[in-house]
Amino acid sequence: MSEQSSQAISPTILTTNCPGSYRLKRRVSQSVLYLLLILGALVMIIPFAWMISTSLKTVQYVLTTPPQLIPNPATLDSYLRLFELYPIGRMLFNSLLVAGLTTLGQLVTCSMAAYAFARLKFRGHNLVFLFYLATLMVPFQVTITPLFILMRIFGWINTYQGLILPGVFSAFGTFMLRQAFLTIPLEYEESAYMDGASPLTIFLRIILPLSKPALATLTVFAFMGSWNAFLWPLFIVREQTMMTLPVGLATLQGRWLTEWNLVMAGTVITVLPMLSLYLFAQKYIVQGFVMSGLKG
Amino acid sequence: MSTKSIFARVFALFLSLSLLLAACAPVVTPTPITEVIEKTVEVVVTSTPESVEPVEITYYTFSAAPDHLNDLDQMIQLFEAKYPNIKVKVETAPFDNYFTKLQTLIAGGVAPDVFELNYENFVTYAEKGLLLDLSPLLKTDSSIDSTIYYPRALEAFSYNGMQLGLPATFSTVMLFYNKDLFDAAGVAFPTADWTWADAVAAAKLLTDPTEGVWGLHSGVQFWEFYKKAAQNNCKFFNEDKTSVLINSPECVQALTTMVDFVKRDKVMPSAAEMGGVSDGDLFLSGKLAMDVTGIWMFAAFKDAPFKWDITVEPSMATKATHFFANAASIFAASKHPQEAYQWVQFFTSDPEMAKIRVDSGWELPALSNPAFFTDYLSQTPPSNRQAVFDSLQFAVVPPVIARQTEMQDGVGKLLDQVMLGQLTSQEALDQAKTLIERLLK
Repeated sequence: MSEQSSQAISPTILTTNCPGSYRLKRRVSQSVLYLLLILGALVMIIPFAWMISTSLKTVQYVLTTPPQLIPNPATLDSYLRLFELYPIGRMLFNSLLVAGLTTLGQLVTCSMAAYAFARLKFRGHNLVFLFYLATLMVPFQVTITPLFILMRIFGWINTYQGLILPGVFSAFGTFMLRQAFLTIPLEYEESAYMDGASPLTIFLRIILPLSKPALATLTVFAFMGSWNAFLWPLFIVREQTMMTLPVGLATLQGRWLTEWNLVMAGTVITVLPMLSLYLFAQKYIVQGFVMSGLKG
Repeated sequence: MSTKSIFARVFALFLSLSLLLAACAPVVTPTPITEVIEKTVEVVVTSTPESVEPVEITYYTFSAAPDHLNDLDQMIQLFEAKYPNIKVKVETAPFDNYFTKLQTLIAGGVAPDVFELNYENFVTYAEKGLLLDLSPLLKTDSSIDSTIYYPRALEAFSYNGMQLGLPATFSTVMLFYNKDLFDAAGVAFPTADWTWADAVAAAKLLTDPTEGVWGLHSGVQFWEFYKKAAQNNCKFFNEDKTSVLINSPECVQALTTMVDFVKRDKVMPSAAEMGGVSDGDLFLSGKLAMDVTGIWMFAAFKDAPFKWDITVEPSMATKATHFFANAASIFAASKHPQEAYQWVQFFTSDPEMAKIRVDSGWELPALSNPAFFTDYLSQTPPSNRQAVFDSLQFAVVPPVIARQTEMQDGVGKLLDQVMLGQLTSQEALDQAKTLIERLLK
C-alpha cells in the first residue's frame, strides 16, 4: 500500500532546468516524505512480523520482557502441533470452498440485481431498491436466529449449503454494482438494442465487460468478508471437519490460558491466502476503497 | 433528494423493527418444549433398552477445548466400550461464544442432548425449564448412590427440588506464588493465615519496576469482588433478597482494598500496564510473584521454569474462598434422555473418569470419596495440594439472581469505572444497589 501511495504522491514534474536551490528544496521535502512513508510502512508491518515471529517461538519465549523480535530458538513446532491437533488441511479446503463459492454467487446475484435496478424500469423499482438497501441497516446478529431456524427447516445445518447460500446475496454488492452500471452511457445499450440485442445479451456483452473494475472490487470484498466470517460459521457448523479456519482457530483460545504461538501459527496460515489475493488484486482493492468512498 | 432519503430512513426503521420482532419471537416462546417433553417421556416408556441400532447423543462442552480434547476422547472410548449401543459426539465452542451458540441451538430446535453448564448460568437455564429433571432417573438407577457426589456440588445443581444436572467438576481459587522471586527478594513464603495487609507488605518488597516484576495480581471483577466482599462480611443482599446491602461500609471497604492494590500500593499492574497479557501468562513468564487464580491453572503452570506453590487465599475480617462447579445437564427435549443420562452418570461419577481428570489436571472430579484424591494430592507441583481442600472449608457460592448475566455485567462495568477513576468505591456500589434492586423487581 505504501508503495502505491508513494508513487501517487511524488509526481515526476521535476524538470531538468530547475535552479539548484529549488532542486535541493525538492530533494529535502522528498526525503522527509519518504521518511514518513517508511515510518508508516513499519507501523503496518510490525504486527505481521510479530505474528510470524511469535509463531516460530516456544511457549516460554512468547511473553518475555524485553520482547524478542527474532525468535531464539526458532522452531516450527507450533505448525507441526497445529497440524497434529486439528485437521488444518480440511479447514483450509473448507474456507477456500466457502469463500470461493460465496464470491461467485455474489458476483452472479449482485450483478443481475444491479442491472435490473439500474436499467429495467418496472413498477415500483425504486421502492424495491429502497427495501433492498434498507436491509443494510439490519445487523446480522438480529437475523441470525430466524436464519438458523430456516436452515434447520431446510435440513442444512452442518452442511456446505448452509455455510454458503446465506452469503451469496449482498445488498452492498448490488448497490455498488448498480452505481457502477449507472455510469455506463445509455447510448451503448441503445445501439445494441437497435441491432436486435436482447436485455440479456446487452447485460452479458456490454454491461459486464465495461464494469470489470467494479466486479473485481466486489470479488475482493466478497472474498475477504466470507474468508473472515466467524459468527455464522460458528453457529452452523457442528463438527470439526466442517469448520472454516477462523472457527477452528477460535477453539485454540482456552477459557483461562491461550498458547499464543499456536494461535499465531494458525493466523499465519489464515492470512497467507488473503495476502496472496491482495498482491494480485492490489490495484482493485485500492480502487474499491476510493470508489466506495466517492459513491457512498 | 432529501424527501427520498427521509423515506429511506423511515423504511429502514420500519424494516429493522419488524425484523427485530421476528427475531425475538422464537427465542421468547418456550411453549413447544413442554410438548416435546411429553412426547419424549412416552418414547422412554415404550422403547426397549436393548436397541440394535446405536444411538448418537451430542455432548456440548466449553472446558475440554483446546487442552483436554484428548482426555475427553479417552473418556468417550471407555464409555462406548461399556455401552456399545451409545455413541457420543462432541461439540465444542470457545467459552466467549459458548452460551450464545447454545441459545441459538436451542432456539433453532437442534440443541445438544447433553451440555456443560457452569453454576452461574445454570439458574437461567433451570428457570426456563430447559433442563431435564434427573431425580427419577437417579432413583431407579441401582448402580449409583447420589452420596458418591461431593454434597455441596450436587446441591448447587438442584433447583426447586429437582436435580437438573450432575456435577462433573469443581474448583477453587488459590494464592499462587513464585518461590524463586520470594527467595530472591528474601521474603518469607505466604501462609494460610495471611491477611491482605501481609500480602501487600510482601508484595511491596517483591515489586521491582526495573525488572518489570509485579508483586501481586488479584483481578478487579465480579467474581473476585463477591469473594473479597464475603471476606469482609459484606453481603450483596439479605437471605430472601428483599433488601440490597451491596453499598454497606463493609462492601465499600472490601472494594477499596482491591482497588488499592493498584492505586495506592502500586503492587499490581493496571489493565493498561498488563497490555492485554493475562495474569496467568504474566505469572508463567516469571514476572508476577503472587497470582490469585484457579486450580485449573495447575496444568498450564506445570512446566514453569521456576519453583512455585500455592496456599489458601489471604483474608480480611474472615476467610472466604471461591467455589466453582460445572455440571452436565440434559436438554429437556432430548430425543434420547435415557442414553443421555447413561453418559452423564458415567462421565461424572465413574472412577476411571475421575482418574483421567486427576491425572491430566482437568479440575477436580466432584466426588465425595477421598480415595479419588490420593493421586491428586501426591502430584507436584504444587506440593501443597492439601491447601485446595483446606480452602474448600471456607467456600462461598456466588450471589445468584434470575437475571444473573445482567447483574454480573452491570456490576462488572461499575468496577471497571472505579479502576478508571470515574467513580469512587462508594459511588459505584450505590449505583450497584440501584441496579440490583431494579433486576430483582
